[in-house]
Amino acid sequence: MADSYLLLNADTVLAGVRAGDPGAFERLYRAFEAPAFNLARRMCRTTEDAEDVLQEAFYEVHRSLAQYRGDGSLWGWVRTITASKALMRLRRNKYRDTDELTDDLHPGRPEDTGLRMDLETALQRLSDTARSVVWLHDVEGYTHEEIAAMMGRSASFSKSQLARAHVKLRAWLGEEAKV
Amino acid sequence: MTMHCPLEQLVALREADAHTEPGHAAAREHLADCAGCRAEADRLEQRVARLKALPVLIPGRDRYAELESRLVRERRVRRARWAGVGGLATAAAIVGILLVQDMFRPAVADGSQQLAQVMAESRSLEGELTRLDPDGRAMDLVTAQVAGQLQTRIAALDERLQSAALPDAGRPTDDQLIELWRERVGLMDALVDVHLTGASQVGL
Repeated sequence: MADSYLLLNADTVLAGVRAGDPGAFERLYRAFEAPAFNLARRMCRTTEDAEDVLQEAFYEVHRSLAQYRGDGSLWGWVRTITASKALMRLRRNKYRDTDELTDDLHPGRPEDTGLRMDLETALQRLSDTARSVVWLHDVEGYTHEEIAAMMGRSASFSKSQLARAHVKLRAWLGEEAKV
Repeated sequence: MTMHCPLEQLVALREADAHTEPGHAAAREHLADCAGCRAEADRLEQRVARLKALPVLIPGRDRYAELESRLVRERRVRRARWAGVGGLATAAAIVGILLVQDMFRPAVADGSQQLAQVMAESRSLEGELTRLDPDGRAMDLVTAQVAGQLQTRIAALDERLQSAALPDAGRPTDDQLIELWRERVGLMDALVDVHLTGASQVGL
């Protein structure tokens, strides 16, 4: 995902940013801008929200760079900050998550009959929480424990959200088993 | 009638720790024998693979300049604050000495009172600015630029106040000091206004 130049020169770029070189921070931003925005956009409902998350995430990256110890990859660190900021944005917006959670397990609702969506549409139709769990777990590779920590919930909650989301996706994509 | 694994169970079986969880061994055995459940598990894997293959979405507009402006503004505020605190402390100490010296002169200059007054006004505006907490507020680009310009001018003025207070600079007259401090009060007043207006515009 991340820019290969930066992976090779992460130490140099970090040293530059820490020394206050604005060019170094821009290189860091440009290297991770696309994957960070993609993550934010996949989690948030609107492009505007994702753009704001990107701003907040990189502002935080700049502010917290002194605390980065280099234990994991730089992208992994930036990615976690971005995911956390996106979750904060979702919590703040409070889209109709509560409604979604209560009627999660009804793939055969009347309005879904005969409905067949593409994957993008189906993903967007999931609740913010479910969509975030699916993306963080299935695509970004976070464990349920890591997702739970970011969301301030339990690992069981994350597992349950993922399973329910897949039941919905299967129905919306017209992939129900013909048995 | 054959019982099949529910999708929730198939999702759970994909986890790394699924081997150790109770009940999953039986589900795995069933999966090995049941073509229907294997097909369902395959569809699940394909769905996840399709999710991973979705195109990378890129931002529609470049907002780096906005971020950079925010970072620059913060750096300026920090620098101006430190320079302001240090510079003002020095300047205030020198002016204090001058005022004490004036007390022992036969005629008390009216300028000393004016100077003390204008310095108090400046301190009051500093306090008001601190209460507004501009660092913790969202600010549009134009407000940020105007605030940045004012901070730069204030920092430059503080340098002049510090220089005027240096021993080898020659003792500045009260009128000169009053003029500098008045200029500072004017700039501080404008800065407070900018932050007040900016804050009201974003509904804070």
